[in-house]
Amino acid sequence: MRRIAVTLAFALTLGGLALAQGTIKIGVFLELSGRMAVTGNDTLYGVRVANEQQPTVNGATVELSVCDNASTPEGSVVCANRFVDEGVVAVIGSYSSSHSIPAAGVLQPAGVVMVSTGSTNPATTQVGDYIFRIPYTDQFQGAVAAQYAHNDAGASSVAIFRQQDDDYSVGLSGFFKDAFEALGGRTTVLDFTANTVDFSAQINNLRSFNPDFIYYTGFCAEAASLVPQLRQQGFTQSILGGDASDDTQCPDGGGAAFDGFTFTSFGEPEVLTGAAAERAAEFRTAFEKSYTLDHFTGFTLSGADAYKVLVQAITDAGSTDHAAIRDALANLQDFPGVSGDITYVGTDGTPANRVMGLYAYQFSGNSWTKAVLKGISLE
Amino acid sequence: MAASAVVPRRRPWALWLVVLGGLGLITWRMLYLHGVNEAFNAAFFAGAVVRSLQLGSLYALIALGYTMVYGIIRLINFAHGEVFMVGAFAAYFLFSRTPFSWPVALLVAAAIAFGVLQFLNFWRGRARDPIVLAGALVVFAVVAFALASTQLGWFWAMVASMFVTGVLGMTIDRVAYRPLRGAPRNSMLITAIAVSFFLQNFGILAFSNRQTPFRPASFFTGPLQFQVFGEPLFTSWMIVLVPSVTAVLVVALTLFVTRTRLGKAMRATAQDAETARMMGVNVDRVIATTFLLGSMLAAAAGVLWGMTFGSINQPAIFGILPGIKAFAAAVIGGIGSLPGAVVGGVLLGFLENFLTALFPRTEYFSGITEYKDTFAFLAMIVILLVRPSGIVGEDLSEKV
Repeated sequence: MRRIAVTLAFALTLGGLALAQGTIKIGVFLELSGRMAVTGNDTLYGVRVANEQQPTVNGATVELSVCDNASTPEGSVVCANRFVDEGVVAVIGSYSSSHSIPAAGVLQPAGVVMVSTGSTNPATTQVGDYIFRIPYTDQFQGAVAAQYAHNDAGASSVAIFRQQDDDYSVGLSGFFKDAFEALGGRTTVLDFTANTVDFSAQINNLRSFNPDFIYYTGFCAEAASLVPQLRQQGFTQSILGGDASDDTQCPDGGGAAFDGFTFTSFGEPEVLTGAAAERAAEFRTAFEKSYTLDHFTGFTLSGADAYKVLVQAITDAGSTDHAAIRDALANLQDFPGVSGDITYVGTDGTPANRVMGLYAYQFSGNSWTKAVLKGISLE
Repeated sequence: MAASAVVPRRRPWALWLVVLGGLGLITWRMLYLHGVNEAFNAAFFAGAVVRSLQLGSLYALIALGYTMVYGIIRLINFAHGEVFMVGAFAAYFLFSRTPFSWPVALLVAAAIAFGVLQFLNFWRGRARDPIVLAGALVVFAVVAFALASTQLGWFWAMVASMFVTGVLGMTIDRVAYRPLRGAPRNSMLITAIAVSFFLQNFGILAFSNRQTPFRPASFFTGPLQFQVFGEPLFTSWMIVLVPSVTAVLVVALTLFVTRTRLGKAMRATAQDAETARMMGVNVDRVIATTFLLGSMLAAAAGVLWGMTFGSINQPAIFGILPGIKAFAAAVIGGIGSLPGAVVGGVLLGFLENFLTALFPRTEYFSGITEYKDTFAFLAMIVILLVRPSGIVGEDLSEKV
């Protein structure tokens, strides 16, 4: 009996050593602190659960090298440089375009594959052929939002709130403006910068334009201040947000002023269709075993898919060579991801056929829920 | 000989000309805008004025802390913005997390009682006065019991937060600045920046790393709507509360500085610390008191700031911009001067809110809203070039 135990322990030790030798490193940089910490962490949980589901690839254990970019472009560059020094096989991240683009500028020349989990600015994947993404682009999101404002909300003049120091916000507001003006509407753009608290000057500028619809393209750190101030100063118009509004900091920070706040965002199981919806729901069940469901959003699915496509590409490549992984990823076709099918063949690194959800915050008293209105796909 | 010949020329009419001319220009601009667009009506400008006053009062409260500390030890206390942040978060925990568990209640009550002890000392003058000690003990017992049993309203949360933050300010002075009293001024400045970074990161770990709701149950945060020349103005009761609380605190501070022994010692230290020490003033105690009062005002500003905007930013960024702007306000008004801080703060509020309302976005002009965060610093540069001692500052020669 004792002998068996000793042998077993010995075998386990050897096995452990063998595993330790066969590890591959994937870098993950996300907004784990700072103004986008909520979404960054939700994304990371998705990566972690996907990692628990598929801990090995080609017989080697995957080790996640997690780096916090502190919701800053500088932090993202620091993370990217760290990954290059560590010699990671590939990189996952990040949520925001303002953080993905500078990191891509480091990883592309270094020849390291990067899969962004949340960047929707078209410029991200245009940095180079090593840069991929999971979500749709803002060209699509802006057009969908413009159609919603024009057709569903019946708006003819829209005030666009733009965070002028953020790539995502500037890009999205531009696409919305073009799409909405092409539909025959009028727009005005109101600028603010990160961490603005007092919006009375912007709201003053709103008075003479007197819009019948408001489009918000910034993040929740500012929306939590802006929306209550709009409501308090007598603006009762419908407000539509971009996917950066899909963050608990909005309704938690801003309170009941967010009742009825509608926004487009990444697909959740309810808006997906067919086999993808089943895979997403299955993933949610697995997620629930490790984390609470209030951390489960479309960004979680996106994080999981970034991990899954990389594992698939490393499997297809059969090696950890950077160029081989890139080629395998660029040839990926109809990969069954939890956020929908993913095809990179013939694209600039943005998968075709993404599904977007339309959601709204609904309040009863002080508690709120995120209601699913409908799913929107590219066709 | 030449120096004695220079007599400062007094031209009071020049000042009046500038003021009246400015008012005239503003009136003309408002009438012109009203002609351009009906939306720029009396309610629009009245709203801008009340909001300017509200924001200006908040800047003034923060600026007072900068100016007091600078006046006494010639230190630009860069950690003051973070003290303001701690004040807001302390109040947040006091109204949203009470009743506390007993250990927490005792700890917080101890900090509050220590602050009250310092306060009672102002009046009695001696540290180990039995009346003062007994008073602090009673406060400790009552506060501990209150914290452990009931939920605090915004007012008591503000008062408690003022004492907690005041004690924090004294602690910063004792730990970080007092050991450097004789050191070069740059060492103190660098230490102040270090304290600021420390508090930011401590706040992220201890308080929150996200946008935090700041909505205590209060009548004042409710909507207030009234008519200005037949046009509706939408606002909240905070436009009444913020300037009133500020006025009360500023009057109390002025009375303290001008009417009490410790206030007199403070003025003496500001004029010349060495001589004051020789005259028997306990300079270290005066400095500690300065930090206590400045931090208390910052805490009050933090609470009013949170209630005005409904939520507070995460600790690493919450204090920075208001803090630096308030510092600019202190310089504009004349750093080292108490009325200067108030004037500078209110002026800054008008620059950010009323000036942007005077140049709003119209069909032909994109407005100056995007640049409003730079006004504070532009004004500071202009003041430093034109009148380095600030609007109401004393003559520079007295300070050096």
